[in-house]
Amino acid sequence: MKSQKKRVAVWGVAILLGLLVAGWCAADERGVTKDKITLGLVLVKTGPVAALGLPNGQGMVDYMNYLNEKGGINGRKIEVIWEDDQFEAPKSVAAVKKLIHRDNVLTILTTGGTNQTVANLDTINKSKIVNIPNALADEFFKPLQPYIFAMGATYEAQYQCIVDYIAQDMKMKDPRIGVVYAKKEYGKKGLDAIKERAAKYNIPVVAELVLPTGAVDASSQVLALQKENANIVITCDVLPPVITFLKTAQKYDYRPVVFGFNWATDDALVKACGEAAKNYIGVNFVGAWNDETPGIKLCRELAKKNDRQIQLTSLYVNGVGVAWLFGEAMKRAGQNLNPDSLKAAMETLSNYDTGGIFPPVNYSPSSHAPAEMVKFFKADVPNGKLVPITEWRKPK
Amino acid sequence: MAIRSKTFRESYYEDIKLFQTIWIKFWTVVFVIGLVLLPFFGDPYFVYLVNLSCIATVAALGLNILTGFTGQISLGHAAFLAIGAYTAANLVQRLGTPFWVNLPAAGIAAAIAGALVGIPCLRLKGLYLAMATMAFGVLVEYMVITWDGLTGGVRGMSMPAVSIVGYSLDSDEAKYFFLLSVTGLMLAAADNIMRTRIGRAFVAIRDRDVAAEAIGVNLTRYKMLSFAISSFYAGVAGALYAYTLNYIHPEHFTLLLSIQYIAMIIVGGMGSIIGTVFGGVFIVVTPEFIKMFAQALGNVVPAIAGRYDEEWNIAAFGLLIMLFLIFEPGGLYALWNRVKVGFRNWPFTYWG
Repeated sequence: MKSQKKRVAVWGVAILLGLLVAGWCAADERGVTKDKITLGLVLVKTGPVAALGLPNGQGMVDYMNYLNEKGGINGRKIEVIWEDDQFEAPKSVAAVKKLIHRDNVLTILTTGGTNQTVANLDTINKSKIVNIPNALADEFFKPLQPYIFAMGATYEAQYQCIVDYIAQDMKMKDPRIGVVYAKKEYGKKGLDAIKERAAKYNIPVVAELVLPTGAVDASSQVLALQKENANIVITCDVLPPVITFLKTAQKYDYRPVVFGFNWATDDALVKACGEAAKNYIGVNFVGAWNDETPGIKLCRELAKKNDRQIQLTSLYVNGVGVAWLFGEAMKRAGQNLNPDSLKAAMETLSNYDTGGIFPPVNYSPSSHAPAEMVKFFKADVPNGKLVPITEWRKPK
Repeated sequence: MAIRSKTFRESYYEDIKLFQTIWIKFWTVVFVIGLVLLPFFGDPYFVYLVNLSCIATVAALGLNILTGFTGQISLGHAAFLAIGAYTAANLVQRLGTPFWVNLPAAGIAAAIAGALVGIPCLRLKGLYLAMATMAFGVLVEYMVITWDGLTGGVRGMSMPAVSIVGYSLDSDEAKYFFLLSVTGLMLAAADNIMRTRIGRAFVAIRDRDVAAEAIGVNLTRYKMLSFAISSFYAGVAGALYAYTLNYIHPEHFTLLLSIQYIAMIIVGGMGSIIGTVFGGVFIVVTPEFIKMFAQALGNVVPAIAGRYDEEWNIAAFGLLIMLFLIFEPGGLYALWNRVKVGFRNWPFTYWG
């Protein structure tokens, strides 16, 4: 009886050990087979900010399909598995774990916005997830994060460029800046950057007003700005509240020059606001939808071919651009494609031209910093679109 | 001598025994062994889901003590989680204290806040209590967003993994064992509180507070105690959450989270410890099943393929809560009990 118990125990331990060893051995190249590459994507599809994630992800998927039609990457077809995080960090963390451990993806193109990427930082480093976040924060590239490739221009840089533009290009007499911001990361960073830069040029910031993301009316903000005689308003808010603000301002016949950053610089704003967008100037780190550059032309073709009803075109362009960079890096990585070779290939992109989608892209083993360049766009109200009024420029 | 049948009890002490029969003890041991072996069989994603279930269980346990056992509704549970999470994060970042200080400290900080909220809430009942606790939740949310110096504001706060004698528990498996032990402890504590004088006082208040007072239950004391214990659990859950996600942000602790916990205890079973575990696991795992179901459905009906998104879960939760309230107000616990009784009395089963 006793020996039988012992035998059972020994067998139990042996089986357990066997399973463990089997588990270790089963691990092979992640997400790459002879004829297929599996990629993951975590981007918001539903919820209050779905309008931001959908076109972005669609741009990535459409470009990858476009590569597939041209024969794929070194003979391998690409598959993209898109998980919805509803723009919430806990859901993004879960989705990233699922993509790596269940779907066994090579990498995850983006793991979401700033919060999501910060929450995933540990996994990104441990599982070597080469990714381009769809938002930008200093900690993504300062100090160097080995697997994050920052894209675009930081909020600080964008607002510095705006204040530079006000001080040096507009040559306005007695400019008085009012700031309308959201109590979000971009709002607070934007506000701080504006105040600091404006102080440098001795331009007074006469009002700092909160406009929540879900606002349906901005009367109190407009009245306060009017009272302070602000002739320039800089918004640190995403598209919907900026539209609300412009429409409310029109109602009160308040016509300052209004500036906005990349999440509020889109043709959709001109279409939604009409005449109210007349004095709007926005900055963005991607080209505009109606540019005649080869990259943007491709974006328009892809959208048409896939029958995408895109409201936020700049995000679609951004998505195509991100997928473009990954496509190029996978091509450069060659047959031996894995997270390490992909990372190394990304780091060879030097002065790389995406046909006008992004400013020239520069990554190296020692720096994954973004270009920090933006273009200024002005609303062309009759045609319902944004037109560029400057070339790519950096904070001075 | 009378023939004893099934769970025949002769004294009050037998009635409140934790393990009523040898079989309950046996299955508990089997279950615990199963749990310990689980990370060796499940992939890290599965382990991660179980981790989330553990945290959800601890938090829901707190709410069940307040709502299920004491009958005081709360829509501010997420606020206590936030207090716990930010207390732990601040302790780690400012003082570098170890987890065995941080966890109880997080619980105590939340418990103090809970007791304070309990005082004005003593006179409130039902809908008014729900409103008052909700207001507290909104207040804490605002505070967390605005008090940059303490909470990091909208930037959030990062949190290192638990470290035990120099060994950092940063993998999902390591976290799993840690969370499992803490959850086990919290469950045992709750089960024990509920079978003592305190627990019986809570239940008396829930059933009829006037009658409870008449038989000598100090309403002020016990209601405040219930708030404090409930918040303690929430605070510990908040700290566990911070340790598991390694990052906390105001958006994690919203009204929606409080409502989710209410859903957990409704689905699991109000006033039942084991029901809380069911509820916690159920709410975390259900989206996975819905996802699998949607994928399977997509293979059959091409129009649905790739259409799955998070909205499906929200819709499904709404439907589930409605169905439970209509058909099984006692939750999964009642369902479990009925199945158990059904098997026990087989073949003379009455599935009533």
